Amino acid sequence: MTTEPVRGGDLVGQGIGPSNPQRRRLGIGLIVVATAGLLFVVVSQALDAGGAIHFGFSNWRPTLYAYVVWAIALGWGQVLARGEAGWRALFILPAVLFVFAFALFPTLSGLFIAMTDWNLSAAVGPRFNGLSNLVALFSDRFYWNALGNMVFYTAMVMVEYAIAFGLALLLNADIKGRKFWRVTFLLPFMLSPVAVSWMIGKSMLEGRFGPIARLARWLGWESPTFFAQPWMAKLSIEAMDAWVSIPFVMILLLAGLQALPKEVQEAARVDGAGPWQGFWQITFPLMLPVSVTAIVLRMIFKLKLADIVINVTSGGPGGATDTVSSFIYREYRDRSNVGYGTMLAMVYLVMIIVFVTLLLNFLSKRMQRMT
Amino acid sequence: MRVELYERMMTLQAGRRNFLKGAAALAAGTALSNSFVGKSFADAAGDLRKQILQIPGVGKGAPTDADWQKVGEMCLAATKANVAEGEFAGVELTFMGLNNQNLHNVLFRGFLKPWEAYTGAKINWIDLAQADYNPRLQQSIATGTVDFDIIEMGAPFEGDTAGKGLLDEMPDWVKAQIDMDDYVNYLKAPVGTWAGKTYRITIDGDCHTFAYRKDYFGDGSISGMADAPTTWAQVQAVSKAVKGKKDPLTGLDAYGFLDPLKGWGGFGFYFLEDRASAYAKHPDDPAWLFDPDTMKPRVNNPAWVQAIQDVMDTMPELPPDQINADPGTTAFQQFLAGTGSMICWWGDVGSNARTSDSSVVGDVVGFSINPGADKVYNSKTGAWETPASPNFAPNMAYLGWGVYVTNRVSADEKKRKAAWSAAAHLGGKDLSLWMAAYPSGFQPYRNSHFDYAEWEAAGYDRAFAEDYLGSNADSYNHPNAAIEPRIPGIFQYYSVAEDELAKGYAGQYASAQATADAIAAAWEKITDQIGRDSQIALYKASLGL
Repeated sequence: MTTEPVRGGDLVGQGIGPSNPQRRRLGIGLIVVATAGLLFVVVSQALDAGGAIHFGFSNWRPTLYAYVVWAIALGWGQVLARGEAGWRALFILPAVLFVFAFALFPTLSGLFIAMTDWNLSAAVGPRFNGLSNLVALFSDRFYWNALGNMVFYTAMVMVEYAIAFGLALLLNADIKGRKFWRVTFLLPFMLSPVAVSWMIGKSMLEGRFGPIARLARWLGWESPTFFAQPWMAKLSIEAMDAWVSIPFVMILLLAGLQALPKEVQEAARVDGAGPWQGFWQITFPLMLPVSVTAIVLRMIFKLKLADIVINVTSGGPGGATDTVSSFIYREYRDRSNVGYGTMLAMVYLVMIIVFVTLLLNFLSKRMQRMT
Repeated sequence: MRVELYERMMTLQAGRRNFLKGAAALAAGTALSNSFVGKSFADAAGDLRKQILQIPGVGKGAPTDADWQKVGEMCLAATKANVAEGEFAGVELTFMGLNNQNLHNVLFRGFLKPWEAYTGAKINWIDLAQADYNPRLQQSIATGTVDFDIIEMGAPFEGDTAGKGLLDEMPDWVKAQIDMDDYVNYLKAPVGTWAGKTYRITIDGDCHTFAYRKDYFGDGSISGMADAPTTWAQVQAVSKAVKGKKDPLTGLDAYGFLDPLKGWGGFGFYFLEDRASAYAKHPDDPAWLFDPDTMKPRVNNPAWVQAIQDVMDTMPELPPDQINADPGTTAFQQFLAGTGSMICWWGDVGSNARTSDSSVVGDVVGFSINPGADKVYNSKTGAWETPASPNFAPNMAYLGWGVYVTNRVSADEKKRKAAWSAAAHLGGKDLSLWMAAYPSGFQPYRNSHFDYAEWEAAGYDRAFAEDYLGSNADSYNHPNAAIEPRIPGIFQYYSVAEDELAKGYAGQYASAQATADAIAAAWEKITDQIGRDSQIALYKASLGL
C-alpha cells in the first residue's frame, strides 16, 4: 500500500497543486473580500434594524444570501490558498458551516432573545434586560412546580423500564403467536400522543360516559375521576405516556436480548443456575449497555413531555400535571412572553445537558465496576 | 332576493343600489308608501330569508356542507350587484380563522364556494383551534409574517392589529352592501373602528347569556324553586338544593350551575367575568377590570374576590371531574348533553339546543340575561352598595367575531376588492340570519335578527325564539353592560389569570383574596411589560373616556 499523499492536482486533473504565492494571495484575497462583504451586509442590516440608518431592508434575507456567498468564497479561497489542505478542508467545511447556521446561530440568537424583555404585544419590541429573566425564573413558582413534576415523571422511567424488560423477555421467549404479539405490543408507539390524549384522556377516561369510568363504577368506584385529584391526575398522565412509550424501550431491549449469545445462558444452566439466577447474574448484566441506552433515551424523551399534558389537563389541577415544556408553551404561546419563555427554555436545556452528562458518567463508572 | 329578479335588474343595467334609489324615487314621486317595485323587492328579500331558513329546517338534523353551499349560493345576489362574473379570476386569498366544533371556517368554506365559483377567486384556508388563535396571531404580528389576507378576528384584537396599521380600511361600497346600520348599537363604532376608520365586518354579536333547564324549576321540581334564579345568590342556592338528586331528563345525577374550572387559552376567564361583572360593574362607572387612570387591576377588589369565592363555594356541588372541564366541555359535553342545569355561555347554546344532533335539552332550555347581584362594589368610593333591585351587568364577552382584511392586499386593487367582497359575502344581511339561526359559532347581532316571526317560520317555537333572542337583545341593550376593553395583550391578562385561578381552585392559595392578589400582581407585570402609558390611553379610549 502506498503512503504517498495524493496531490490536489491529481484529484481533479486540472493541475491544482500545492499553492503558489500568487494563488495563495488570490485565495486569501477572496476570503477577505467575501468576509468584508458579509460583515458589511450584517452590520448594515443590524443598523437598519436598530433604526440607526435606513436602507429599507424588509427582511434578513440579504444576510442569508451574503452568508451563502461567503461560504462558497471561503471554500474556494481555502483551495486556492492552501492547495491540498484546502481540498481536505472542503470535506468538513460545509458541515461546519451548516451546523453553525442551523444549530449554533439559532442557539446564540436564542440566548440573546432570552436576555430581552420581549412581549409580542408591546409596541416597543424587544428590550435588552440582561439577566433579569434569569433572576425572575428563580422566584417563579410555576416553573419550580413543573420541575418538581419532572422529577416524578423522570423517576417513573425506571418503572417503565421494568415493565418493558418484562415484556421484552416475554416476547423473546418461545410463546405462541410471537410475531403477532410483537406487532401488537408495538402499536401504541405508532400512535400520536395527541391522538392518545383525545382517544384515551378525553374519551375513554371521561368521567361520566367513558368506558374506563364505567368499568370503574361497575367495580365499585362510586364517582371515578382520573384528573381531579393531583396525584391521580399525575398518575393518569404518566400511564398514558408510558403506554405510548414502553414499546419503544421494549423494542430496544428485545433487540439486545436477541443479540445475546445463547451459549452463555446454556453454560449457566449446565452449571446449575436457575431461571432467576440466569436472568439476574447473566442476562441483566449483559444487557446493561442496551439498558442504559434505552433508559437515557427514554429520559430525554420524558423531559420533553408536553403534548398529552397540554391536551388533557393544561397542567392542572392546580399545576399538578404541569411539565416544564407545557409551562413554557403557555408562557410563550398564550402569553406571548417571548424573552422570558426563551430563558425558561434555555435554562431547561442546560439542566438537561448537565443531568444527562452526569447520568452517563455515573452509569459508565457503575458499569465498569460491574463488568 | 330571487335570482330571476336579480337577473331582470341586471338586464336593465341596474345595480342594486341604483335599483333601490329608483324604487325610493318612485315611491317619493308617487307618494305611495307601498309601491309595486318596493313591495316586490321587500317580498323577494323576505322570501329569500324564509327560504334559507328552511335549509335544512329546524329539527331536521344538523346542517351539512351541502346546506352551507346552498345558502351561500342563494345569498350571492349582493355580491353579484358589485362584482362581475369571473372578475377575480387568478386571485388567490388566504383566510385565517377558527375551526371550533367544526364550525366557523368549516362553514365559511361552504358559504364561499359559490362565491369562488362566481368570482373566479380561490381561497386558501388557515384553520386554528381556539387555544391556538391568540399565539398564532401575535406571532404573525410580532415577527412581521402576516400571511393571511382575510382574518376572522374578535374586536379585542383590534388594538393589536388596527392599532399597528396592519388592517385595510373598509371601502364604502362594502358598508352599503352589508347594511351596517342594521347592527345592534353596541357593535357600532367605536367597535370595529380605529382612529376613526372602519375595519370590521361584524359576523357575530358576542355576549354571555344565562341558559337554564326549565324542568329544574316549577311546582314539584327538584330545586324547589318556582322560577329560574335571577341572582348569583339564588344560583348558589339551586346548586346546593339539587345536589344528590336525579336529573329529571336523563335520570343521572343532577347538578346546578356549571363553572368551567380549566383554562381555555385565556377564553376561560370570561366565565369568571360572568359572575364578577354583577358585583364589579357599577352603573356609574364604565370600568370594571382596571382603574382607567392607572391600569391598576381591580381583579383583587372585594367584588372580584366575591366572585372567586362564589366559585370556590360551589365547587363541592359541581360534577366530580369539573376541575378538568373547560368552557367547551361545559357547554357541549355537559349542558347540551343533559348534565347540569345552568350555564353562562355565548349564543351557541341557544342555536345548538334545537338544531344540534348532540343536544338533548332543546325542549327544556330557557334563557335570560346573566344573573345579577344583590350588592355592587363602587370602586370610586371603595364600598359596597345595596341597590333597591339587583345589579345586572351582562358580560359582552369578546364583542363578537368579525371579518377583517389585512393590508397585504392594499396595494393590489383587484385583490383588495376580492378580499372585501369575500368578507362582505360572509357578513351579508341574509346570510347572517341563517348563521344566527343554525349552529355556526355565531349569535344574533343585527336588529333584523330579532324578528321573531322569521324564526317561527323557520320552525322555531315562538316562545323559544322570544326567550333565546330576548336574552341576547336584553343583554346587548342593557344600560349597564360590561364592555370588554380593546387593548393589546388582553388575552395575556386572561391567560395568566387562568393559571392563577387553577391554583386557587386546587387549594394552593390560602383564600380567594390570595388568588385574586396573585392575578393582580401578574397583571401589573404584563401592563409594565407592554407599556403602562399606552395601555392607559387605549383602555380609556375603549371605554369612551
